Amino acid sequence: MNKAALDKLQEWSEKGHRSVQADTLLMLAAEHPEVVALSADLTPTARLVEFKETYPDRFFDVGIAEQNLIDFSAGLALEGLRPFAVGLAAMVPMRPAEQMRAAVGYMKANVTVIGIEAGVRFGPLGNTHYAMDDIAVVRAIPNFTVIAPSDPLSTHKALYACIEHEGPVYIRLTGGPGYPVMYPEDFDFQIGKAIDYRPGSDIAFVSSGSLLADAVGAADILEGKGISTRVVDMHTVKPLDTEMLDKVFAENRLVVTVEEHSPFGGLGGAVAEYKAGFADAPKQIIASLGDKFQKLGDHKFLMKENGLTAPDLAALAETNL
Amino acid sequence: MANTETIDLINDKSALMRRHVIEMGYRAGGRGAHFGPALSSIEIVASLFFGVMSHDPKNPTMATRDRFVQSKGHACLALYSALGEAGYITQEQMATFKADGSFLAGHPTRNPQYGIEVSSGTLGNGFAVACGMAKAAKIKGEDHKVFCLVGDGECNEGIIWEAAMNAVKYELDNLIAIIDRNFVQLAGTTKDIMDVDVEALWRAAGWDVLVLEDGNDAAGLLNALGQMKESGNGKPHVIIANTTKGKGISFMEGSLNWHARPMNKDQYDQAIAELENAKTT
Repeated sequence: MNKAALDKLQEWSEKGHRSVQADTLLMLAAEHPEVVALSADLTPTARLVEFKETYPDRFFDVGIAEQNLIDFSAGLALEGLRPFAVGLAAMVPMRPAEQMRAAVGYMKANVTVIGIEAGVRFGPLGNTHYAMDDIAVVRAIPNFTVIAPSDPLSTHKALYACIEHEGPVYIRLTGGPGYPVMYPEDFDFQIGKAIDYRPGSDIAFVSSGSLLADAVGAADILEGKGISTRVVDMHTVKPLDTEMLDKVFAENRLVVTVEEHSPFGGLGGAVAEYKAGFADAPKQIIASLGDKFQKLGDHKFLMKENGLTAPDLAALAETNL
Repeated sequence: MANTETIDLINDKSALMRRHVIEMGYRAGGRGAHFGPALSSIEIVASLFFGVMSHDPKNPTMATRDRFVQSKGHACLALYSALGEAGYITQEQMATFKADGSFLAGHPTRNPQYGIEVSSGTLGNGFAVACGMAKAAKIKGEDHKVFCLVGDGECNEGIIWEAAMNAVKYELDNLIAIIDRNFVQLAGTTKDIMDVDVEALWRAAGWDVLVLEDGNDAAGLLNALGQMKESGNGKPHVIIANTTKGKGISFMEGSLNWHARPMNKDQYDQAIAELENAKTT
């Protein structure tokens, strides 16, 4: 574990995921000469200016060309480099989906695609800048791993896990400035291994991304009412940790999946697909952004609009128990 | 200048490869094959595998090998026939083209052990991946070259131009693209589908451009490819090779009907007879 990361937690929490990924890429590049970073005219937005200046020969801006961002990364990866391609989650998995399938997934290229500002974090910029479908796009591509970390340290550790991982990864990042610290100390992060964040026997919130904090908030409210509530950090959406889900199905009476994504093809869809194989699994509610384009508004407004705040989640769960 | 011995070798290999194309494509039966675009590019691929590229079929993944990326993946029979002639794949394996469970699909699937560097088939992507491979060689200080075969119809794709601009930005003079300019694409002539000045587009993108009037002529190809392989002028290279779609089979040459289709017994017999006849004249 990189001690520098623990020292940065407060700063990362204040600045949000863009800084976490940019600082972590710098740390990775210092330790691994095969690490290169790429962006498509997004260098300042992705906070990669320092990377570009520190490693000018290992940073590539391909211009406003997301398809080439992915194909060029694949070519680098096939020759043994470890490219991290950073783009807006609203643009990157959808625009070059075909490149992610043909050049990355199909050839098992070791490319990590980082989608920043996933979900509806871009609030006032409107729906073209919302990523409500990125998990669905990437989950359908064989060989891709999909990770949605919940906090600064898990984001940092997820990126470190990618360098040890063989195969393509998509990391979607949600937590903006005020990124809640859910893991203040070092912890064991493994791709595909969910974290039983807190125990509980009635309801289980199974969450991905930075909404973990809201799921925990909802659990606090429910516990106050005497409803025992478990929270699972399902940071890896693909492959799902089915052992953890087996435990949840056996031990809890209601499953509420929580994500800043469409109800289709994301964590909720993935859990429902797995649950379809069980005759006696508990009921599942999918808390999500819904099947709609959103109203214009800031993130807080949109979370309220979509019932994704802690009180909303608690009420939804209680009603369905 | 290419020597006579090498030119003769390329012509001999091209004749053998044409025969493989017809045999493999005919055996695929009703599944058909992309005969026209494979036959137009035969001399290009033969010149690379048997004249220009450093490679070793006994050591297919050696780090110093030159890379060949067939971006126009539908012309895979040109690649497979070269791999067969070079000894990467066996005659028995070639006979499995498009068969259930075969690794020789209708578009190449990455398989470095058998000399297939990059999966292709969705047009434009192979070229953009090849650009990444060329950049990787530069980063790693490796001297090998990346050769990439691109279709003229394929140049309709936006990704081609995203990658072409980027290759100039990163001065990928270790990258040599060859446009198989056969003037026919799936649904019609390139003039009818998208009538553009291909040469002007590549020049505008900043590439080192060379136009070959006869892209089915081994001597011209060997000279052009050899010259570009040695040139380190800071620019990526492109040869626009004017070829004949379906080259070598009279009823396919320049035809709009032989982009991709099954071949019947009469057509097969005629094609083989023409190839045999060409050998003796």
